[in-house]
Amino acid sequence: MTSPSIDTDLESKVKDIVTDILEIEPEDMTLTSRFKEDHDADSLLAIEILASLEKTFKITIAQEQLVHMVNLQGVCEVVAEAAARRQ
Amino acid sequence: MTLSDMSSPRRVVITGLGAVTSIGTGVAEFLGGLRAGRSGAKPVTSFDVTGFEHAQGCEIDDFDAAAYVHNLPLREYGRASHFAAAAARMAVEDAGLPAEDLRQARSLVTVGTTDGESRDLDRLVQQEVAHGPERMDPVVARRVPAGRLSVAAARELGLVNVEAVTLPTACAAGNYAIGYGYDAVRTGEVEFALCGGADAVCLKTFAGFYRLGTIAPERCQPFDRHRKGILTGEGAGILLLESLESALARGATIHAEVLGYGLNCDADHPVAPNEDSFARCVRLAHDNAGIAADDVDLISAHGTGTKANDVSEARAIRQVFGDKTPRTVSIKSMIGHTMGAASAIAAIACTLAIREGFIPPTINHVETDPECDIDCVPNEAVEADLRVVQNNALAFGGNNAVLMLGRYDTGGPTGPAGGQR
Amino acid sequence: MTGMTRTSGDRTSGAAPVTGPFISTWSAVSAFGVGRESFSAGLRDRKPVVTALDPDQWSAPATEACLVPGGDPRELLGRKGTRSMDRATGLAVAAVGQLLDDGTGTRIPGVDESTALVLGTSNGSVRSIMSFTRDALTEDKPYHVDPARFPNTVMNCAAGQSAIRHGLRGPNVTIAGGRASALLALNHAQRLQRSGHARSVVCGAVEEFSAERAWLDWHAHTEQGRAPLTGEGSAVLLLEADAPRGGAALAELAAVEIGLPHTESEVTPVLADCVRRALARAGLDADRVWAVAPADLPGTLGTAERHALDEALGGRTPRGPLCTELLGDTGAVSAAFQITALLSAAESDPESAGRAGVVTTVDREGVVGCALLRFPGPEQGRR
Repeated sequence: MTSPSIDTDLESKVKDIVTDILEIEPEDMTLTSRFKEDHDADSLLAIEILASLEKTFKITIAQEQLVHMVNLQGVCEVVAEAAARRQ
Repeated sequence: MTLSDMSSPRRVVITGLGAVTSIGTGVAEFLGGLRAGRSGAKPVTSFDVTGFEHAQGCEIDDFDAAAYVHNLPLREYGRASHFAAAAARMAVEDAGLPAEDLRQARSLVTVGTTDGESRDLDRLVQQEVAHGPERMDPVVARRVPAGRLSVAAARELGLVNVEAVTLPTACAAGNYAIGYGYDAVRTGEVEFALCGGADAVCLKTFAGFYRLGTIAPERCQPFDRHRKGILTGEGAGILLLESLESALARGATIHAEVLGYGLNCDADHPVAPNEDSFARCVRLAHDNAGIAADDVDLISAHGTGTKANDVSEARAIRQVFGDKTPRTVSIKSMIGHTMGAASAIAAIACTLAIREGFIPPTINHVETDPECDIDCVPNEAVEADLRVVQNNALAFGGNNAVLMLGRYDTGGPTGPAGGQR
Repeated sequence: MTGMTRTSGDRTSGAAPVTGPFISTWSAVSAFGVGRESFSAGLRDRKPVVTALDPDQWSAPATEACLVPGGDPRELLGRKGTRSMDRATGLAVAAVGQLLDDGTGTRIPGVDESTALVLGTSNGSVRSIMSFTRDALTEDKPYHVDPARFPNTVMNCAAGQSAIRHGLRGPNVTIAGGRASALLALNHAQRLQRSGHARSVVCGAVEEFSAERAWLDWHAHTEQGRAPLTGEGSAVLLLEADAPRGGAALAELAAVEIGLPHTESEVTPVLADCVRRALARAGLDADRVWAVAPADLPGTLGTAERHALDEALGGRTPRGPLCTELLGDTGAVSAAFQITALLSAAESDPESAGRAGVVTTVDREGVVGCALLRFPGPEQGRR
């Protein structure tokens, strides 16, 4: 997969969504800290993140992409890719 | 006071069955569907499916409430109540119990459900979105309270000296209701219990499961390596329970015996199953029924066909049964996930399996998931001599309920109360 | 004790053997506030609690309601884990939390991992259900619903969340019976105990206020005329199968009786029969009844309930406490509030000793019923 460029604006928007859903402080999350292992996420929260991203960015994310959405970096890549596909 | 203080709790038998399902309405039709491995799946028509990429379900498109329900003012009750009343009427007729005898006795009517009349709530929201909240239809608004499901069944049968109670314990509700009926008959508090579950397909629940990514695009494939989720279904199952003495005294046909049940709560996660906790529930059911795991000849699984449920449930079963895991089937492969009705309809399937000596198949099966590792009796029904059958149910909120049913042999007592097991 | 008429009578004769189950403690989250003390104080003061509805928050067909102060889940329970929690669930979780805590952060005696929870509701949260469908109908895609709120649309959400937040791993039961919910829940609880499924049961009910519920009521019951304000709350009690582990019982649950009149004219005879059966089951004469807490609905159902009580108790009906006039139409939690009101009144009235309290209800959907509580005699001691 060619990694589309991830701008910081997207990153901060995504981070806001994810940290709000995971009920953690933004400074506790890094690009690579893992939702499940480091932030107590579970499968329902993962789908909540997916659903929220779909609505916010008006994109469609296949359920299969959940396996990539394990940290902020993975999520940003999935979102950028979905946004690129839409255009 | 607990049961151990009671001199002789009564044995409880099933003498009447009523089923409304997408593979057959009426017990004979349903039995035919189970034997044939019929599928109730077809495109959803009960709501506008525009915008969903797929919308397959197991609806009952030819249900005519008036053909079964004689006394209830149908317009005042919603679809789930119609299902419940129809199935209750069928169960009483199947039992050959004169309506007047039922009315004279103290009875319990208990109907489990996930969504109650959420189908009507969908409609009210449609009206609200289109015209504003002041324009909702008052006739439909009056049908909403979930308590009406059991009231509908009791009123259809003219019962007054009755406890009519609805148990909205989601997708385990049918087993809850049967367990409650069993306790009430066993302790002698009621003479008859009509118990089971009812639900109608609604947009709300379809959209919810779709959002979770758990709606299969075409078919429901429990325990299959390539399973893709549930199909939402609808219907009702109601069982008539009475004491063995009562059934014998009136010369009733005894379909099977209720041996006991177990309930517990994961207290862990609102939607994800917990295999250790469910295994504990299975053991509670065995203890309550006075049987050992080795006695179980068949498991009717919750078996929704989702990735998470099937693997957790299979692991829990393995935890309890080890290498001697009995055959484990899911009738949801045929009728979809009928929510609160699911374990009640499955209990009827178990009863028929015991009575008729066969195992209904798990259809749509291609390749068993090695992570599940059970014999799900793929695609074709098989003959089998069944003495004890276990009916599983798991629900949102970590609500687990496991029901144990047994064969009643006329040759003599075989249940735990007879002391032979 | 205030607002309560009493009947005098011999305090010791006619007492039947005590068999349980026993109510050992209770809690309430109501328009009076959070906890047992505020509930008792509210009943004592007899000041109706009326909240002016903020039209920005609630677009209901009324300008006033009887709301739990700070009844939003985040205010009741804090921010953690309440982001997607609905009001009904928050009220129930708070009431169960109040019950289980002895006031010092320690769990009360008599509760363990296998303690059951039996919770009554009218229809879960109709707001959660209807908002979810509304999203499905109005968002860009019909599946653009909030997955975190999907469990809220299932009626066992409050009971399941209460179990999760308080670690209750015994049977977890939700009952839908409208105003009769708490009585049906009590009956369910004692059956679980009789059949050995649980020794102790946290038992009660919950109802939330929402614009959606208010609109449904407004449409469904236009014929009622003088409708009370819409109310809400949650009340739970601990029911123990045998001698309470924490010491004395507040009351014994002597009987629960339920019936289903088919017409409004049958309400009086069927409910009267329930009360007579309850007295017979408890081995009590009508003159042993110290107080009655009726549902007290306005209109014909309330009249039928009064007639039933007159018929069964020989016209000596000592009425009170009356919750509806103070807390509004609290729906599924109404009978639970009636019970806790009776328990609260008995605690401060020595006349209750050795005598009985009757709770009755009439649900609009048909179910009627009563519960009979027997209060300990002076020799049995009280807390």
